[in-house]
Amino acid sequence: MAVTEDPGKPRNLSERIQALQDRAYNALFHNYVWQSIFRSGYPNTPRNQMLVVATNVFLHLHPTRIHRTHVKITHTYCLGGLTFFMFLILTVTGVLLMFYYVPSVERAYQDIAALETNVKFGLLMRNMHRWTAHAMVILVFLHMMRVFYTGAYKPPREFNWVVGVILLVLTLVLSFTGYLLPWDQLALWAVTVGHGIGGSAPYFGDETQLIVFGGFEVGPSTLIRFYTLHVIALPLIAAVFMAVHFWRIRRDGGMARPL
Amino acid sequence: MAVDTRAAPQPAAKARPRPKREREEEVLVWPDLVFIEFISAVLFTITFLMLSVFINAPLLNRANPEQTPNPSKAPWYFLNLQELLLHMDKAWAGVLLPTIALAFFAAIPYIDRSREGQGVWFGSKNAVRLTVISAVYAVIISGALVAFDSGDRTYTENLTRWIPSCNGDAQHQGTPCLRDEGDDHIGIVSTKDISKRLEFSIPWPNALLADDDSNLDWPEDLDHIGVPFNNICGNIGSFHLWCDMHLNIPSIMAEQVIPLSSIAFFAVAIIYVLFRIGWLRTKRDLFIVMFTAVLVAYLTLSMVGSFFRGEGQNLIWPWEIKVDEG
Repeated sequence: MAVTEDPGKPRNLSERIQALQDRAYNALFHNYVWQSIFRSGYPNTPRNQMLVVATNVFLHLHPTRIHRTHVKITHTYCLGGLTFFMFLILTVTGVLLMFYYVPSVERAYQDIAALETNVKFGLLMRNMHRWTAHAMVILVFLHMMRVFYTGAYKPPREFNWVVGVILLVLTLVLSFTGYLLPWDQLALWAVTVGHGIGGSAPYFGDETQLIVFGGFEVGPSTLIRFYTLHVIALPLIAAVFMAVHFWRIRRDGGMARPL
Repeated sequence: MAVDTRAAPQPAAKARPRPKREREEEVLVWPDLVFIEFISAVLFTITFLMLSVFINAPLLNRANPEQTPNPSKAPWYFLNLQELLLHMDKAWAGVLLPTIALAFFAAIPYIDRSREGQGVWFGSKNAVRLTVISAVYAVIISGALVAFDSGDRTYTENLTRWIPSCNGDAQHQGTPCLRDEGDDHIGIVSTKDISKRLEFSIPWPNALLADDDSNLDWPEDLDHIGVPFNNICGNIGSFHLWCDMHLNIPSIMAEQVIPLSSIAFFAVAIIYVLFRIGWLRTKRDLFIVMFTAVLVAYLTLSMVGSFFRGEGQNLIWPWEIKVDEG
């Protein structure tokens, strides 16, 4: 990559500084180790700009080029991407919360209370987790409305819309299972309402309560079930559906566009 | 390094403007899209960091199964289901209607298979006004239905207070009356009262009834009607089916037929009107109306549940809400 013509001998101070900068830049970014990580050069040419998207695992969900109408903010308001970004924040803050939380009826509440007072930035992490969780629910609804009102569910994107509906349900269930974990009055009785709703399912009411809630009332087995669902099962399932969702956007020809 | 060949000048002979090729309408994802994504991520991170610095997540007292807060409420996105529970059979409110709504959402692209109007906001002819009308309609109708049902301040209670109190000792009530639990006489508070508090009797041939008192008494003569073949018992796995099944006709009327037919009536009414005035022409138009109405009704009922339900899930004004935490 280091294609530089010989500048000749530096004549004055500014040229000396320039030469020093170039050497430093080459040492940092044109060395063997750096180039083993980033195969493409600095993305300042069209070729490198495409390579950086195509060769980076995080960026390669994108195509390398995109129609110019799609980068207009008002076309999507970034709603789907922001929903996913909320998921990422929730994963990070959630992992931090897990360090201090034991999902047992005896300890759960006291752990949350201690997290708020004894742990540095514990309250901040919990607040972030709470508010981004609400935001994710709102954003997933707004994203669905955007897709609907721009007619983006139409062929060939039918199946991706169905995946989206599944992700909506998963988001709601993720949020609801997390609601119980602080084990305060708000949590217990909100989930008790949900427990009653689950029990009203025709024919499968009792089974729903036993399988999903772990009993005929909200108790220790509900807590451990919701915890396991919330921190591992549902995020994994949601991640799989998200992967399908993002993959299908490109397979179905990118974002919807007027015919 | 790589020279952008697209910018190469066209030969002067072909001066006539040609339609732009697909490729020329495209921009590079890096930097054009990645930049937007990065900025919006940063903005949201800062926003939520600030929000979390200034507003704390709620943490009430430790959970106590002995103390039921009044009212106890579900999370806001399920409050609409909790609201529906007040008005109709719990299986419909909590499970069947939400399942139908989600199945309807998932089925939309398989029924509306047209490709027109995609990729632009409100791409079809009447899309905007259909959306606005059905949103306003959904707010008004779901609000009005709530105002007429469930809560001792509803219009219905006021309008039905003239119905007399039941005579506790009489064997047959004759003209309609309401059974009062306390000393005060109140009208119909909720549709469910039709099966629980409303009573009347009409003369009826003996042969058709289980009891032989020549009267059809609502509700007690109708709340245990055997289903044909209900002496046959079957099992699928651990589920008992069709065994000793009885129907509670008054309860079916009050908690299923009346609420569900009200919803169906108002849904069909708006669709019919919009169809007759010629605004609703395609399946896409139909789905715009239905999708908007379902989503807005969902939101409205959540709002009602959040801000207008107080102790005992009674209908109150937002500034009167007090939560008794038990």
